[in-house]
Amino acid sequence: MRRTIDIYLRLISVQIRSQMQYRASFLMSLSATALITFLGFGSLAMVFWRFDNIGGWTLWEVGFLYGMVEAAFGTMDLFFSGFNPHIFSRLIRMGTLDQILLRPLSVTLQVLGSSFIMKRLSRISQGALIFVISVAMLDVHWTPAKVAYLPLVFFGLMCFFGGFFVIGSTLTFWTVQPIEVVNIFTYGGREMIAYPMHIYERWMRDFFTYIVPAIFLNYYPALYFLEKPDPFGMPDFAPFLAPVVGVGMLVASFAFWSYGIRHYQSTAT
Amino acid sequence: MAPIIKVENLHKHFKVARHRRGFLGAFRGLVSREYETVRAVDGISFEIGRGELVGYIGPNGAGKSTTIKILAGLLVPTGGTVIVNGRVPWRERKSHVATIGAVFGQRTTLWWDLPVIESLELLQYVYDVPPERFRRNLAEFREMLELDQFLETPVRSLSLGQRMRADLCAAMLHDPMLLFLDEPTIGLDVVAKERIRQFIRRINRERGTTIILTTHDLSDVEKLCERVMIIDHGRLLFDGELSELRNRFGGEREMVVYFDQEYDEVAVDGAEVVSRNGKRVTYRFDGHEITASELIGRISARHRIRDLSVREADIEDLVRKIYEGRLLEAPDAG
Amino acid sequence: MSRFARRIRLFVELSRVSFRRQLAYRTANLAGLATNTFFGLLRAAVMVALYGARQEVVGMSVRDAITYTGITQAVIAYLSVFGWTELMDTVYTGDISSDLLKPMDYFTFWMARDLGRALASMLMRGLTVMLIYALVFDITVPVGAWQWAALLASLLMGWLVSFSWRFLVNLAAFWTPNALGISRLIFATSWLMSGFMMPLRFFPDWFVGICYLTPFPAMINTVVEVYVGVLDAQGVITALAAQAMWAAGLIWVSQVVLRAGIRKLVIQGG
Repeated sequence: MRRTIDIYLRLISVQIRSQMQYRASFLMSLSATALITFLGFGSLAMVFWRFDNIGGWTLWEVGFLYGMVEAAFGTMDLFFSGFNPHIFSRLIRMGTLDQILLRPLSVTLQVLGSSFIMKRLSRISQGALIFVISVAMLDVHWTPAKVAYLPLVFFGLMCFFGGFFVIGSTLTFWTVQPIEVVNIFTYGGREMIAYPMHIYERWMRDFFTYIVPAIFLNYYPALYFLEKPDPFGMPDFAPFLAPVVGVGMLVASFAFWSYGIRHYQSTAT
Repeated sequence: MAPIIKVENLHKHFKVARHRRGFLGAFRGLVSREYETVRAVDGISFEIGRGELVGYIGPNGAGKSTTIKILAGLLVPTGGTVIVNGRVPWRERKSHVATIGAVFGQRTTLWWDLPVIESLELLQYVYDVPPERFRRNLAEFREMLELDQFLETPVRSLSLGQRMRADLCAAMLHDPMLLFLDEPTIGLDVVAKERIRQFIRRINRERGTTIILTTHDLSDVEKLCERVMIIDHGRLLFDGELSELRNRFGGEREMVVYFDQEYDEVAVDGAEVVSRNGKRVTYRFDGHEITASELIGRISARHRIRDLSVREADIEDLVRKIYEGRLLEAPDAG
Repeated sequence: MSRFARRIRLFVELSRVSFRRQLAYRTANLAGLATNTFFGLLRAAVMVALYGARQEVVGMSVRDAITYTGITQAVIAYLSVFGWTELMDTVYTGDISSDLLKPMDYFTFWMARDLGRALASMLMRGLTVMLIYALVFDITVPVGAWQWAALLASLLMGWLVSFSWRFLVNLAAFWTPNALGISRLIFATSWLMSGFMMPLRFFPDWFVGICYLTPFPAMINTVVEVYVGVLDAQGVITALAAQAMWAAGLIWVSQVVLRAGIRKLVIQGG
């Protein structure tokens, strides 16, 4: 275990140092990403004075959802950079995956260590900023249970979206090119749960409740933190499913991943 | 001594999707696909002993790299048994790859943006090489491969030859017993090729590393290998010593004769005129049927010879003939 | 055949090839269409939730606002809203030298290709998104030949402004190795200021004022306003005139910058 962590840190530090060699372009993309993240919430905030609520939620209540999911997704995007389907499919196409298989280390560990996109930091900090400001404006009634649960929700969100990255990458064992439709689940899912789920049509919400249970990762926890009533009459434990659903998703996706590697080892040419 | 590699009746078949044409075809392709089976490796058996240096050659798509990938543990075969170093490579991938080294042609195992030395140091941890041994190996390979001039250079700025040397060093740092080299001299100039060959020869002799070498450049094989395996269409066409290859298939020789003057009729019994250019005539003859001196005797009995030279068929010709199936029907593999 | 006629024919031919090529990316077009539609539905839901019980906000009804989300999703591919770096790639790979040797004006060369790509994208992704919107929602449709004509003119002009702007941004590659980062920053800015994220009229007036000092509103916001009919006849003419001015101005500036860039390229030997 210690050796695993040691190797992981060494691999990551290579990635960081490589990116630091291109300082100007790094700073440039850092600010571009910061701007892009700001735009989503910023443009909403800029028109809010004409509307004053969205589906009955205030700007800062939406900011709670928005900041949380942005920060969690960004953190996932940083640590799972190697599993980003666009980046991973390049490992297959360039034959780098064969080099990975030739080393006496876990394949998953090496894929995690193969990329670490530092410019995600600006997405994380922007999300965190939106979250912190929203919480400050909201006057949330904090209890020890809420404080303890918050990081678990964050973790659940990371695992959940990480799972989609892993699935998207695994699919490229069959397709070589990344499957664009997976973006609907990752980037589309992120955008969707950044707003309160009750604003969506029934069929969309049902899809993201029963097929892809994204509703439990952000919306229900927010109902709990902000002490809002549940409009859909789910059981009382619904707000506490976030870590379970997230980890479950990640575990399932890694099972698919191992199946994919076995497939790769019997077909790669 | 037990062989380091034992391969029996190895098969690897790939299913390749057949593409349908046109828009409707592409749409139907999404729903159902027709497959064709390609037999990349089609029943191969061989053994390789410790310390051997084997040339593994064949045309593109013959099944060379499929075999190598199976031996390296990257690929699971369709059938047959493979034991390398007492292990089944793909079943115990991690412990297997810890004992082998591999350099795959134009792909580097080094980190693109790192100076060479840092990549090598990182590999020390990846392979868990004890520091003392790492230092000793690094010092030795630095000298053998003349790495010092570019040790601090990022890999992305190395020339092809420099990168190959760095990759060879990387593949040997953990003292593998077995080294796979896939096209180690491809794209290199004569000097760089020679340097790489010297290194391969030295580690084979001094460290007893077993080496399997695939190459397009048959002079690699001629200069390095005692044993040659030739594969085509997934089958082993020849497995034996280089000298045997020459003996068995190298019977055909050529003699170039310069006559004193142009003769109308230059044909002789026992040899075939391959080309004729003024006073210069090239004969081809089978060394098993007629010796060179006999042939010279027959020619000089009729014409005045000013000069002549005899050329052995080179290995390239031999192999080409084997591929073309002119010289032999594929014997039972193995 | 006159020289002018020959140039027109070359232009049409280049556009046609690039049109066909864009149509050939079937799976990519389909995936893009699915993504554009999904995000459109999301944004429409956000609009509906923002409006709540309101019937109208600054002249736009809920129906207009839903239609707005459809239009913005429909022009993503048409205007390469998320970015276009093909030209700067050729600068970095060196392929540009063979393009510069072609017996054709360099700007027109790219314009012809971009027009073909844009029209194919409009067909495969733009119109299809609007069709899906028409099936799912009750959307606003332009009324009468006059408004349709104005919309067509505005769309074409929007493309002209967008293309010459993208061309200009790509020219940065002549001077800096970081043109990609710069272009990302500029494209992201354009999302906000072109009315892609929200209709500009929703924003505070001072901010809208700033936006109209840039060419960005002429790319998308004008198209939207002409389409949903929030402008009177006078307003439409003014808006189209503004688009035309931006197009002419940007084309002129990009010519000047291009000449300077080529001089630099020639002096430095590429």
